[in-house]
Parts: sequence; structure tokens; C-alpha cells
Amino acid sequence: MPRGALLALLGPSGCGKTTTLRLIAGLERADAGRVLVAGRDVTDQPPEARNMGVVFQSYALFPHMSAAANVGFGLESRGMARRDRVARVAEALAMVGLADLAARKPRQLSGGQQQRVALARALAIRPDLLLLDEPLSALDAQLRDGVREEIRALQRRLGTTAVFVTHDQAEALALADLVAVMDQGRLEQIGPPEELFERPATPFVARFVGRSSAFAGTIEAPGRVRVGETLLMAAETPPPGPAQIFVRPHRVQLGPAGDIPAEVTLRTYEGATALLTLATPLGTLLAELPAAAGHRPGDRLMATLPPDALRVFAA
Amino acid sequence: MRGWLLAAPAFLVISLGFLLPVALLFRISLNRTDEGGAMQPDITAATYARLLGDEFTAQLALDTGLMAGGCALAATLFALPVALAVRAAPPAWRGPLALAAIAPLMVSGTARLIGWLSILGDFGMVNALLALAGLPEQRLINNWTGVRIGLTESLMPYAVLVLLAGLGRLDPRLDEAAATLGAGRVRTFLRVTLPLAMPALVAAFALTAVLGISAFVTPRLMGGGRVFVVATEIYDLALETVDWPAAAAMAMLLLAALGVLMLLRSAVRR
Repeated sequence: MPRGALLALLGPSGCGKTTTLRLIAGLERADAGRVLVAGRDVTDQPPEARNMGVVFQSYALFPHMSAAANVGFGLESRGMARRDRVARVAEALAMVGLADLAARKPRQLSGGQQQRVALARALAIRPDLLLLDEPLSALDAQLRDGVREEIRALQRRLGTTAVFVTHDQAEALALADLVAVMDQGRLEQIGPPEELFERPATPFVARFVGRSSAFAGTIEAPGRVRVGETLLMAAETPPPGPAQIFVRPHRVQLGPAGDIPAEVTLRTYEGATALLTLATPLGTLLAELPAAAGHRPGDRLMATLPPDALRVFAA
Repeated sequence: MRGWLLAAPAFLVISLGFLLPVALLFRISLNRTDEGGAMQPDITAATYARLLGDEFTAQLALDTGLMAGGCALAATLFALPVALAVRAAPPAWRGPLALAAIAPLMVSGTARLIGWLSILGDFGMVNALLALAGLPEQRLINNWTGVRIGLTESLMPYAVLVLLAGLGRLDPRLDEAAATLGAGRVRTFLRVTLPLAMPALVAAFALTAVLGISAFVTPRLMGGGRVFVVATEIYDLALETVDWPAAAAMAMLLLAALGVLMLLRSAVRR
């Protein structure tokens, strides 16, 4: 993981992403494997020796301390002189826009403010690594986007390498430089968001990240896949055999001419675009089109699947 | 209105079982003891005046307070690690461990004290081990030492119970947050765990101190008749000396002292 990057650990609940974060922080012991930070093996170090800033899902602010004391706690533990500490605390609180609330106790702060105190507390120790466990999950939907941008801007500005855990794929794609998709404790794929979205490495990633239509079929020859009666061309295929095929809705082309007859069964209006659910000989196919195209349930169309829109996996 | 109605049975029981006897006791305490030791009906505060002016009573109150305070403090401090360990245990273990910590309450206090007598007695386990190690014999029963050991042990389950209830709100994540911020175990305990546990510690101390002040069986059995506290003195006055007005007055003074303590505590809390 490159210095200064923001990595998202993405996966369904119970996939081991929080455990991974806790392993990095040293709050969980590794049965096997090692944790390396900048080439340094920290596997056997206790959390207090690792210099990692952690923002917990519940924030875990010390309820009996003011915001300033919370932020200063890590500096105090490091034996920083009082005068330097006061300056650093003020700086950290100003960074998250809470300079005037320094004397408040956590229970006198709103959820969003508590979140920022937790962030300031984690950043004040100038951590080698910033770890965030579902940092936005406890916030209202309205606050979430704003806080998300703030975290991103702050992390960029400070150049702190960060790892955050989320189960929200939109959040991961929007925020991260690198996304690691996990399932049942295994790493499925790690890469930039675009790569994950366009070129998922496993069926799980294809299904979990973004929307897809999925079909079961057979690879007959390189580049040729059969689904039921229909023969499809694919840009890339594994060796012949049973296969799973995934198609992103925005790659489906619809028009009066095409290869696959399709009937609109449902139209979900999503603002700029509309998601069409199509009945085809392949099975149910999802297509995303500009809402202005004005399709209606019952419309009969022809669909085309460009060969490079198909992701084919050996089943 | 319905709430009052539902509370009526409890009110009845408390009236007949507690308030009425206390009122009778108060009435007795106002009677007079004549030269022959017989109780004469009267309305006089003479018994109170005698007790309050008596040096023996003052010593008794001081000894009782020191015993109760010391044992309550010890019980609370010993109970803290127990409660913290139960809290830190995996969820499936917490129930059984909590039960184990308060299991002494399921055994009669007298049976437990007789157990202590055989452990601490002159030919008991502790002295047998001391003899084996070639160390001098220690007198551990029929004195204050025995009373303190027995009382501390008997108060501990109550302290654990109060602490477990009070520490329930202490989030284990806070310990982890402190660790990631670079605080070692000692700093985490002193700066995070202890301040947050303080209300529970005060509550545990208050409850066990009140129980300790009114303790009778432990001082009686472990003290072997050589340790005098307020509760044993009331017993002696009532059944040995048969000076009922004095016993009743002493009991009323104890009740008043406990009442003042409770008032002080709720004032401090506010």
C-alpha cells in the first residue's frame, strides 16, 4: 500500500474487515501472518507501541474528559510537555473546525461533532497510519456526504496513509484510492476503484461492487459463450466449460436493432437515469439508460451486449 | 393512584414489620431503668443522655465506624479487580463468573464464618502452614483481626454486585482507544477506568459500609466475645444485662447514624 494513499476495506458484514483493521491496530492477535508498516514488522507489538490513530465506529471518546482532553490524551501518553500539547490540541481541533467547543464533554456534542473529536484525537498523535472503522455509519445520511469529503480532504492535506472499513460500496468507490474487497475472511481483489468496477477479478466482486446482471452459461470456444439458445461474443474468456457471465447495466445497448429481443417489465426512475428490468431469452437483464429515453413497461426492444462488456468466469 | 394501590401490600408489610417495631422500640427507649434493673414506664431522655455522655459508647461508635469503614474499603478494592475481570471475560463466561463471585451469598453467613474459624483458628489451616514453614503462630480469631477478615469477606459479594451493575456502562472500546493512543495499562487504568468506575466504587463502599456498621454475626462469632461493636452491645444490653431502655436507645442511635449517612451520600451525589 503506497504512502499517503487511502485504502478501503469493503465487504459484507462479518467478512472480517473490522477484524483486519483491529489486527493492523494490534487490538487483535494474529494466529498466522505478519503485519508490516513501512517494512517494519509490528506483528508482536502491543497497540500502544504502534503509533496508529484509530477512529472507532462508536468513536469511543472518553466521556469524563473534555474534547480538548480527549485530543490531548495521546500526546500526554507520549510524555509531551504541557505547553506543546496545548498548541497541538488547539491545532488538531481547529483542523476539524471545533476550536470553540474544546471545553465541551462528549455528551454535550452532536454525533457529527463527536466524530470530528475522534478524528482529531486520532490525528493529533501524527500517526503512521490512520484507521477508521465504519466512520460514517453512525451519522445521518445528510451529514454523511459532508463528513466524507472532510475526511478525504484532511487525509490528503496531511498526507496520512489511511485504511477505512465500510460495507457501503458507493462510499468505498467514492473515497478510496485503493479498494480491497473481502469475503468470508479472504481478500477477493485489491485495486483502484475503476479496476474493481470495470474488471472484477471474481464473481463475488462482480456481484458485490456495483449492479450487474448475472447469467449461467457455457464457454464453447475462446470468445464464444452460450446462454440457453443465445450465443454471445465475449472479449475475454477462461478455458471452455461452464461459466458465470456478468454484465453492467450501463453497458447494455438498446435500440430497434440488436441481437437479443427484450421486453421492459419494470422501469425504476433514478433521476438522471432509469433502470430497466428486461425479460430476455438470457433471463432477467438490467439496463441503465438516460431517463429521457422514455421507455415504458411493455415496450419491446432489441438489446446488444458489446463483447468487452461481458465478464466471464469459470463456474 | 393505581400505583399507590399496587404499593399497598408492600406498604402494609413495611408498616407492620418495620415501622411499628421501630416505633415500639422508640417508646421503650424513653422508659426508665430503676436501681434494681427493672424497666419503669416513663417519658424521659435520661437513657439517651447517659449513653451519649458515656466514654464507652463513644469508643464503641469509633470502633464500629473504623471496622465498617475499613472493611468496606477493603471489600470494595478487592471487588474491583473481580468486577473488571468479569467484565473483560468473553460474553459466554460473564454470567457464570458473576454468579461465582456472588455465590457466597447463597451460603448462610454463619456457615461461612464457621468455615473461617476452622481456617484461621489456632490449629487451623493457616497456622498449620505457618508451623510447617517454621514461622510463629498467629492469633487470627477471637480478636479484631478475625472480625476484619470475616467481615471483609462477607461484604465482598455485595461490593462485586454493585460494581458489576455500575461498570456495565464502561465501554471496553475505551480501553482499546487508550491503548491505540499510546497509553499503557497503568495509565489507562488511572486515567480512564478508575475515573469512570468512581461512582460505582462510591456506591459499593456506601452499601458495604452500612452493612458493616450494623453487622452483628461476624463480630460476635469471629470476635469470640472479645470484640465490642454497637450491634453486639445492643444484643448484650437486651439479653445479658436486660436493660431494655438502654438497648432500645442504642438501636435508635444506630438507626439515626445510618440515616444521617444515607442523607449525606445522596447530598454528595447531587
